[in-house]
Amino acid sequence: MSEHGHDHPHDHGSPAAVMTARVNALIGALEARGVAADADVTAVIERFLAAAGPQNGARIVARAWVDPTFRALLLADANAAIAALGLDMSHWAPVELRVVENTAHVHNIVVCTLCSCYPIALLGPAPQWYKSEAYRSRVVREPRAVLREFGVALADDIEVRVWDSTAELRYLVLPRRPADSDGWDEARLMQGVTRDALIGAAR
Amino acid sequence: MSRLNDVGGLTGFGPIEREPDEPLFHSEWEARVFALNRLLMARGLYNLDEFRDAVERIDPARYYGLSYYERWFEGIRTLVIERGIVPPETAA
Amino acid sequence: MTYGVGDLVRTSGRDPAHHYRVPRYLRAKRGRIEAVHAAFPLADARAAGDPAPPLETLYTVAFDGGEVWPEGAEPNTVYHAELWESYLLPAAELP
Repeated sequence: MSEHGHDHPHDHGSPAAVMTARVNALIGALEARGVAADADVTAVIERFLAAAGPQNGARIVARAWVDPTFRALLLADANAAIAALGLDMSHWAPVELRVVENTAHVHNIVVCTLCSCYPIALLGPAPQWYKSEAYRSRVVREPRAVLREFGVALADDIEVRVWDSTAELRYLVLPRRPADSDGWDEARLMQGVTRDALIGAAR
Repeated sequence: MSRLNDVGGLTGFGPIEREPDEPLFHSEWEARVFALNRLLMARGLYNLDEFRDAVERIDPARYYGLSYYERWFEGIRTLVIERGIVPPETAA
Repeated sequence: MTYGVGDLVRTSGRDPAHHYRVPRYLRAKRGRIEAVHAAFPLADARAAGDPAPPLETLYTVAFDGGEVWPEGAEPNTVYHAELWESYLLPAAELP
């Protein structure tokens, strides 16, 4: 115990317990100033998780795979296309979405080297690896090597397009439809669309 | 004079570690930090670039040892203290 | 200077100490305008708390891998970044 006579959270406790105490203290102080209440924070989490998640991305991709008109609109004006599905990125500020498609000749991969920009309002929080220095530093230096580590081996004649999300756009990769999926309905197609594929780190 | 967040092309960060079936948040406190940040920006206390700037200004000796949301917490705390909204010793 | 799709540009080589959104690996590089977006408040000014940050057109610029990493790049790779207009200068030609 310090000589100040009160408990310092750093003296003991797991990292999570320490951070929980600090977060509580900060929110408590903000609440005392009338700036932000604990109940408001809880409400934001609930609203956010209800609206955002990887399933939104899977839905968009499955629809694009079965509906060529939707696919064309998605590539030309993604915000308008997802609005047609009742999806909206603009929780607090307008966000422009851009969808880039993988083809037989092109593979896309997305990164934010400067921080961790990601279509959070649509897909929920980004995976930890996407936000890591290891990914952000390497994928713009040796994207093909990184892709191989993710299990995506690309011949040199396939163009790799790296999208560094440096400003106000957020990116979604439209993966290629699986070759053996003829006749699958959208629900079945959705099941195969992973969060990693929407970033371009999986086929 | 780019800052420690400008990592494109840097080396030495080790392997890209992936967690199978990773949850959206690893703990409740992370979700609350995330939500608090959204809330304070929605209420106009600071904007997203001011927040990024605050995170970029974290002392480099500590920065790389902090987890992602620990950095977010530091950024938020820095901004609300700088604006005189809470006293400097808050949540130290 | 306003740019259109296909225009050749180069990114500024300036190296400020403040919040700035041209990554080091893309500074003083030549590229081509791939898309023209709406105007958005400049990040540098917003980060400084400017109550009226200038609105500048945002561009997606495509950079050939060999231009970004002349010391050795993977083959057939194109880099893209979104850059504000004041981050760009006209480029005469690409090799």
